[in-house]
Amino acid sequence: MDAAMLDAIFQVQRLCLAYPARRGHPAATILDDISVDVERGCALSLVGPSGSGKSSLLRCLNRLEEPTAGVVRFDGRPITELDPRELRRRVALVLQTPVLFEGTVRDNLMVHAPGATLDVSESRLRATLTEVGLDDALLDRDAAMLSGGERQRVTIARALLRDPQALLLDEPTSALDPPNAMLVVDTICRLRDTRGLTIVAVTHTPELVRRLGGALLYLVKGHVQAYEPVQDGGVIDARLQAFLSGTRP
Amino acid sequence: MTSGVLGVIELSWWQLALAMLLVLVVAAISLRERLGLERDLLIGAVRTIVQLYLVGLILAAVFTAARWYWVLLILAVMAAIATHAAVSRLAKPIPGVYWIAATALTLSTAATLAYVIGMVIEPRPWWEPQYLIPIAGMILGNSMTSAALAGDRLQADLFSRRDEVEARLALGFSGREAVQPLVRAALRASMIPTVNGMMTVGVVQLPGMMTGQILAGASPLTAIRYQIVVVFMMAVATALGSLLFTRLAVGRYVTPAHQLRRYLL
Repeated sequence: MDAAMLDAIFQVQRLCLAYPARRGHPAATILDDISVDVERGCALSLVGPSGSGKSSLLRCLNRLEEPTAGVVRFDGRPITELDPRELRRRVALVLQTPVLFEGTVRDNLMVHAPGATLDVSESRLRATLTEVGLDDALLDRDAAMLSGGERQRVTIARALLRDPQALLLDEPTSALDPPNAMLVVDTICRLRDTRGLTIVAVTHTPELVRRLGGALLYLVKGHVQAYEPVQDGGVIDARLQAFLSGTRP
Repeated sequence: MTSGVLGVIELSWWQLALAMLLVLVVAAISLRERLGLERDLLIGAVRTIVQLYLVGLILAAVFTAARWYWVLLILAVMAAIATHAAVSRLAKPIPGVYWIAATALTLSTAATLAYVIGMVIEPRPWWEPQYLIPIAGMILGNSMTSAALAGDRLQADLFSRRDEVEARLALGFSGREAVQPLVRAALRASMIPTVNGMMTVGVVQLPGMMTGQILAGASPLTAIRYQIVVVFMMAVATALGSLLFTRLAVGRYVTPAHQLRRYLL
């Protein structure tokens, strides 16, 4: 991988993450000496077996995890120099299991920190729902009544309303059935194109890796096993292809 | 409080031995129903006698010595034991939990005690052990139970609702804002037994302190006045104990950079 990228939005340099020893638990190394760049408007797919540190690496990018060593830069600045709350508005996170709060879809889209403000017009709310492929009639539906795919797309819409520059996705489709998973993949790929969003995704879905393009980072036990571009034709390194298809036939 | 000397029947050793027969009834039930509780029952009965006798001897000595520092020493020992008891009820360790529990219990007890002793009952001198020690004990006991209940609930919820907390963090909430709904649930869980207890106090069962005063010869009307003070005092001890404990404990789970320490869950 070419180290000197033209315009890297994320620069991860020699990142390590370890948890301290506690009563009954030895110290644990989660990530060891990870370096990776993500170009603005491009995608990075994180793949690897369970427990390889993919989600932890993702969570280092919006500082939900604090690295033990190394630096993460966002837009050229170490993220430790930014207010974590501001960083997280610019770098949105979508979790594997969509978290919706009590109330309507509208309540969920408008949710914000007690001190903060979120000034969103009605038309923008509706447009954002449409943008993630949902009917804007859902706006006043009880969020608890939505299907899994709808829930996940509402959480994506909620992230989009904050106008993020990057979207972090933690296995966004693994809790969904195949048709719903495909709808979410479509939504994500469309957003990358229309909004020029940078996307970092932990995924086991070959379809998502192929369609996102960009680069692919293969992690095993906290170490980088491979870091290479996803070719235009969707030709992924044979080992990775085997891994991806092996875990999600 | 009127002196109980008139109405009190002094219990002899012989009478205590008769009360021990009640334990034998329990042992018989355990044997017959194969509950396997005989050993614990025996240890429990012996501990009841030894612990209460020791406490009785110490209290008698402190009452006779009538020195404020002895009274405060007793309170400090009680606070240390309550701290240990509250901490040992938590399912998982929290780093620095002894200091958290000690601070929460000491501050909540000191504040409640200062008000009740200094403003409501006003004994002379203020450290009169006959008042200070039993009242401090009741306050500590309630703070301890509520802190442990709140801590237990907070821990359980932080684990089961960790995704919800991180979803809020990811939306730009501060650490404390992100856990606030969980803190509220923990406080409610710890305070509900006390609030419910206020609804039925005296109707279902006469409270222990009131019973004691009546047995000691106090008029029921004097006893209920004390009991009313005690109920309100316990309510505030419950609220303060759990509030302080959860506030301090949350500081261990969320970082200044608004992160949830997942490895502690």
